[in-house]
Amino acid sequence: MATSALRPALRQAFAAPTARSVLPALRYQSLAQRSPILTQSSGFQTSSRRQILPPLPQKIQGTVNDAAVHPEPHPQHGSYHWSMERLVSIGILPLTVAPFAAGSLSPLLDGAFISLLIVHTYMGFGNIITDYLPKWRVPRWRMFFDYANLLAVFVVGWGWYEFETNDVGLTEAVKRIWRASSEKKSI
Amino acid sequence: MALRIASRRLALAQQCAPKMLRRGMATPASAIEHTKEPLSATSESLSASRPPIPESKTTTVKEPHFDPQAKTKTFHIYRWNPDEPTSKPKMQSYTLDLNKTGPMMLDALIRIKNEVDPTLTFRRSCREGICGSCAMNIDGVNTLACLCRIPTETTKESRIYPLPHTYVVKDLVPDLTQFYKQYKSIKPYLQRDTPPEDGRENRQSKADRRKLDGLYECILCACCSTSCPSYWWNSEEYLGPAVLLQSYRWIADSRDERTAERKDMFQNSMSLYRCHTILNCSRTCPKGLNPALAIAEIKKSMAVA
Amino acid sequence: MLSQRVAQQTLRRMAAQQPAHRFVAPAAVLRTSNAIAGQRRWAASHPVEKMSEGEAINKVLNQQRLRRPVSPHLAIYQPQITWYLSILHRITGSLLSGGFYVFGALYLIAPALGWHLESASLAAGFAAWPVILQFLSKFMVGWTFTFKTFQGVRHLIWDTASMITNPQVNKSGWFVVGASAVSALALCFL
Repeated sequence: MATSALRPALRQAFAAPTARSVLPALRYQSLAQRSPILTQSSGFQTSSRRQILPPLPQKIQGTVNDAAVHPEPHPQHGSYHWSMERLVSIGILPLTVAPFAAGSLSPLLDGAFISLLIVHTYMGFGNIITDYLPKWRVPRWRMFFDYANLLAVFVVGWGWYEFETNDVGLTEAVKRIWRASSEKKSI
Repeated sequence: MALRIASRRLALAQQCAPKMLRRGMATPASAIEHTKEPLSATSESLSASRPPIPESKTTTVKEPHFDPQAKTKTFHIYRWNPDEPTSKPKMQSYTLDLNKTGPMMLDALIRIKNEVDPTLTFRRSCREGICGSCAMNIDGVNTLACLCRIPTETTKESRIYPLPHTYVVKDLVPDLTQFYKQYKSIKPYLQRDTPPEDGRENRQSKADRRKLDGLYECILCACCSTSCPSYWWNSEEYLGPAVLLQSYRWIADSRDERTAERKDMFQNSMSLYRCHTILNCSRTCPKGLNPALAIAEIKKSMAVA
Repeated sequence: MLSQRVAQQTLRRMAAQQPAHRFVAPAAVLRTSNAIAGQRRWAASHPVEKMSEGEAINKVLNQQRLRRPVSPHLAIYQPQITWYLSILHRITGSLLSGGFYVFGALYLIAPALGWHLESASLAAGFAAWPVILQFLSKFMVGWTFTFKTFQGVRHLIWDTASMITNPQVNKSGWFVVGASAVSALALCFL
């Protein structure tokens, strides 16, 4: 304890007012004023042209001895969300394989396929947003993309509803376009 | 004690205020004077993402003892010195005669430090793969330098980096503070409310004990966590494979009585579910463990429960 | 050595006319309040604000932390089938979903723009393409679809905590690469 109490005093001794130590100290201060790392407020930094979200200077939350903090538990963001993703994926699988066996899907199944695809896409895009736009770092962009993702579900859902009701349906349309090339060749 | 913690927090909050104490303990004044970089270049070079200067633009330190029969191999090693905080990291090249060097990468590093360049800095302790100190990225793969053989083909040059996407303390020494803080957060110890039946020890069947095989051997070297792209991008919130494997070690333990609580901790989008089964973790584990399997087991048990 | 420095320090403080009680508790030296510290600075690099010993150490460390570079990652990590297939899975999924989304949204506004996105006109338009271009585009779209599907199945299997050892992952990875290419080729001739 005695030695640790002495430490600050020692540090002061090192900081003795000689020309050699004053100069770098001043230089250091001017460095700090110029460097961008002490004014890290904006999310998208323009200092690096190569990366969109370059890593920030290291900062420790709390002391080194504090445990990392976990967010409040909400199963709808955790296991329910995860299980939902898997269930939707499992639901999509037979609907992607069936058209190859049966030639096409009934309008009802086709509609179900499209709804599942939209949910699957929503969750997939959601994962990408969560991965690359951390809430603590770019809260506004994160919110923007989250809402855009949600909005897209309705816009795209409406669009595909129009397509399903006015046209031949997703699987049948893909089939016709796919076959268009070979039909032309045979003619 | 509480006061001390509080005051420390205050100190953290004040970080951005101008400081005179900026000259760190490990920063002798002379070292700062030697930095040659002009001030105008500092704002660019002080960004945390600083790609190292390639070895083509740095010097090569040669094997000290010349020998006509030498099996000379080149090592490119990532260097960064905190005493010159404005300087960029660089790749320093060293040539060694493999005939005079031990078989492992750690032997090469130790030989460089002892005979060629004493300023090279790295962590090492047990030199037999049990302490996890010498974890680093060797030829693109995270592993323990003490368990990694030096490829004997001398035409291929070896590259040694610190663990990927970590803050570098010096040269090959990464800062693992966040990693340890995350480890602490999963409460890596036995939690029980009921005393043992015989009043002496918490017994476990052989079958239950076998469930811990492949989990308890983890030495927390952080190779897997720092190989995980998900952890690269989200290490602030995602726990990473090593810590999740450690958590599963306690979830799987029949003697632990806080299984539900441990799982409940992961009911958010970040802590556990940033794992996208990329599987770099299992691929790189120098101890041959399978963190991906442990994480899959956690997810599975949470989905069913 | 230590005692020498302390003695030096002491002398320096005497010269700066420090109150005597400060010598008793060196740790308290740093706790001078801002108001009087201004008059009592004896070195340009002396800390001005309140600090305990613990804070001072933390502060030094935190300052060092701010200067640390991040070690290289993506650019230097060995290309492995694990993470390459993983990012391809994300890319192919985004492409498919993106196409699906763009078409859905465009179909909604097509009447307003005067575009014809009906399946019949699209099929007719595609039929007019050169054969090479038809084949290539069919292969690209087909491979994106087959790769995403096979890789998706692989992921679903992993989620049951099976097929997840290193050799199995390697094998199934190369199987997905092969199977997606072959089936995409087959799709081209449909």
